[in-house]
Amino acid sequence: MPTSPSPTTPVTDWAFRAQDVTKVYKGGVRANDGISLRIEPGEVYGLLGPNGAGKSTLVKQVIGLLAPTSGSLSIGPHDLVAHPEVARQLCSYLPQAQMPIDSFKVTEAIELTGRIRGGERTAVRRRTAELVDALDIGEWRSATGASLSGGVKRLVGFAMATVVPGRLVILDEPTNDVDPLRRRLLWRQVRALSDLGCAVLLVTHNVLEAEKAVDRLAVVMEGRVVAEGTPSSLKAEDRGRLRLQVMLAPGSPTPEAPAWYRAPVRVGNNLVGTVAEEEAGIGIEWAQGLVDDGAAEEYALAASTLEDAYVRLTGHTSADDDAPEPVGAAAGAGASTGAGPERPASEARP
Amino acid sequence: MTAAPVTAVAPDRPVAPTETLRSGPSYWLAGFRTMVRWHLASMRMWLMLLALVQVLLGVGYVLGVALFFDEVPPIMAAYVSTGAPVFNLVLLGLLLGPQLVADMKTSGGYDYLQSLPVPTTAAAAAWYVVTLVGGVPPMLVTLLAARLRYPDLELAISPAVVPAVLLVVFAGTMLGYALAYAITDPRVIQLVTQVLAFGLVGFSPVVFPAQQMPAWLVSVNEWLPLTHMATIVRDALTDGLVTADVGRAYLVVSVWALAAGAAAVRELRRRR
Repeated sequence: MPTSPSPTTPVTDWAFRAQDVTKVYKGGVRANDGISLRIEPGEVYGLLGPNGAGKSTLVKQVIGLLAPTSGSLSIGPHDLVAHPEVARQLCSYLPQAQMPIDSFKVTEAIELTGRIRGGERTAVRRRTAELVDALDIGEWRSATGASLSGGVKRLVGFAMATVVPGRLVILDEPTNDVDPLRRRLLWRQVRALSDLGCAVLLVTHNVLEAEKAVDRLAVVMEGRVVAEGTPSSLKAEDRGRLRLQVMLAPGSPTPEAPAWYRAPVRVGNNLVGTVAEEEAGIGIEWAQGLVDDGAAEEYALAASTLEDAYVRLTGHTSADDDAPEPVGAAAGAGASTGAGPERPASEARP
Repeated sequence: MTAAPVTAVAPDRPVAPTETLRSGPSYWLAGFRTMVRWHLASMRMWLMLLALVQVLLGVGYVLGVALFFDEVPPIMAAYVSTGAPVFNLVLLGLLLGPQLVADMKTSGGYDYLQSLPVPTTAAAAAWYVVTLVGGVPPMLVTLLAARLRYPDLELAISPAVVPAVLLVVFAGTMLGYALAYAITDPRVIQLVTQVLAFGLVGFSPVVFPAQQMPAWLVSVNEWLPLTHMATIVRDALTDGLVTADVGRAYLVVSVWALAAGAAAVRELRRRR
């Protein structure tokens, strides 16, 4: 994807580039530490990481709310650090917080944003109508923002951010509160943006959704990019492995991890790690033993996903913001060269 | 990643992201116009509340003062009737505006508004126009109430009322704007505006003659904008009531207005 030009790719290099972006807050907190990334036009790029990893700090620097301590940010020929007013024209932004549209009608909020972003009146009106239909929020067309549910408000925010999209569209947790059906509609629109030639920066800690939506992604941890690549390249290390998740009994101590149980991390009462496919039997036996002893309540063996790479890289599960504890010693069990992941033995994700 | 079929947007539509940057007067004007619309739409929900507060403040002051006296001294009636409109003029820009910003900082909408492509001065000008719209009609209502309550009140409204109102609202709005954007913590903004409201309504010689205050407060107010705002407005509404130096009042308020405007724009542009 990064190298395949979309139909609207111009001659200028319109990629979004971040080079060695470092942000040190007063007091010495290093929120970003030498972040470099590049998003091509037409590419959907995920920025993943636990809370406090520095994702929002990076985004705020891109749109000119914060100034980097060092490093550069640019789109095409434009230096976004030197010219934040240019950054605001070139980037459109869906913040994680809800939009301040309590007293706006839905279509009014979208259309007015389009006009503020420089869209021509009839084009904005047409595009608004299209987005309202495409996101299936037509029944709230004339409702005021204050009366909307969180999910619908989120979709309206998405439409506001994309009615006149910038060259870089930044979406911070766009699917929060959105129902599953409309989530799919939203992802379809994200793909439509990339077809228009927008670079899309998707900020999220929902790894499973990101896996399906992005072309490439970076995992950010403590202000640094700790891994970057396509979802499948990041999963490569877990090829031939299965995820073994053990739900420990509340309050029970973390069991000593066997050598074949790779990189187990405990978050709350969840113990998550991977086992090689050929050792699945041993894994089940061990986990069943824990259940029999009352140390665990249940366990699940499932196909490994991007989530497992994410857990390995960050020590966090995407659904949990609790402080995780790495468990035992990670053993380098040889990955089998087997094909795709097998069917999950059971699927017990909360 | 397989792309889902795209049905919503045909590729030939002119929504493709722009390569040309907008600039110049047309960009400024578009930002100004759309932001005026944005603010008016944002305020729709509590417009009635604003109207109510404005009437309580202006008309309430004008009528309420009468409760202190068996017969309201004419000088008192004149001061209250020409001072209360100043409260109407600065309420939205100086006191409520910063609270709205604080509220947006708390709820998270602040970053979004800051990310919109609107020139800083256009955004400030748009808010100024909105505060004019929110201040002038209540001022007229207050004057009407004063006229009805104090039939002997002699108002002599001169054309100077136009620059007077424009300047007073501008100064108040820019002060509020600078305050709202300079203070990061929304709770501090709330606190400061409340202290300001208290001092403004209670302790500044807007609705009573400055001479009634202790000398030191008089000299402090010589350098603060509020007394002078009252002087400017009062001078434009009456004939012979104002004994203070009106030229100096214009000068002091103008200096405050310009300084606050510059500070407001600087704070708006500031990246932390």
